[in-house]
Amino acid sequence: MHEMSVALEICRITEARVGRDSLPRVREVGVIVGRQSGLEPDNLLFCLDALLGRPPFAGARTELEVVAGDELSVSYLEVDDGDPPH
Amino acid sequence: MAIRRIEVRERVMERNDTIAGEVRLRLGEHGVPALNLVSSPGSGKTLLLERTLQDLGRELRMAVVTGDVQTQNDADRIARWTDDLVQAVVTGGACHLDALQVSNALEALDLDATDLLFIENVGNLVCPASWDLGEAAKVVLFSVTEGEDKPLKYPKMFREASYAVLTKVDLLPHVPFDLEQAVAYARAINPALTFFRVSSIDGTGLDAWYGFLRELHQSGGSMRWERPTGQGVGAAVDARAGYA
Repeated sequence: MHEMSVALEICRITEARVGRDSLPRVREVGVIVGRQSGLEPDNLLFCLDALLGRPPFAGARTELEVVAGDELSVSYLEVDDGDPPH
Repeated sequence: MAIRRIEVRERVMERNDTIAGEVRLRLGEHGVPALNLVSSPGSGKTLLLERTLQDLGRELRMAVVTGDVQTQNDADRIARWTDDLVQAVVTGGACHLDALQVSNALEALDLDATDLLFIENVGNLVCPASWDLGEAAKVVLFSVTEGEDKPLKYPKMFREASYAVLTKVDLLPHVPFDLEQAVAYARAINPALTFFRVSSIDGTGLDAWYGFLRELHQSGGSMRWERPTGQGVGAAVDARAGYA
């Protein structure tokens, strides 16, 4: 039920990291969701897809890893540095 | 394309928990224990607060932060019983209060003139369980018109709570509610849970509830500022009359 709040916080964490480290375009956001975290993984994925499909994210994907326990964290960002200069 | 992976390893609730820690510290500095009241909609949080303010208002200075998805109705109801200590948070769709909302609400409260703070969460037995608001303890309410198996259906909330209040017990003669079974289900989830059985209409069990609030106010010491463990005051008051 509160998946959208959690998805917004995941986007905030992602944006903060992109800003802090001057990262290029984010391709994928890795999220770990515990089965006892009180979240429905499919619902969270739906919310994240909706948020990551719009600016400042240019269609980044979400990779959800469902684990035992109540963990809920952003595990990694996959970024694209683009084509190397010739 | 040059793809690389950056490790983040950041807990999603990190920021909320940091703010909740600051709220807890701030309340602690002012000696104000906070109770986070959680329940499904309609189980009687607002009426219990109204009755508590009415009966105990001359003895304890109680402030209230209420959260609702829309309207200030609950805040308006509660404000009839206290002068200027009610803060309404309209979440605008969110199904829970978060620590930042509580922190902002505290700005409008005079904590030096407050003995006890109630946070009336949004009516919802799922989401508020995940948000630490800086409270001394979560108090989960459920009424005898709901099902005995509420604790089994919403275990996280009952696990997070230190106290449970069974409300509307004046209706027990009229509804098929097995009180002992309800308590057993709840304690199967959380053995340390302390129960109150109250009716905010006819006053049943309110003396025990008020005794607990007085004790919470007077206790000082460690139990108020640590994350609730279900031990301490809960165990002590459990043996007295009026507690299940």
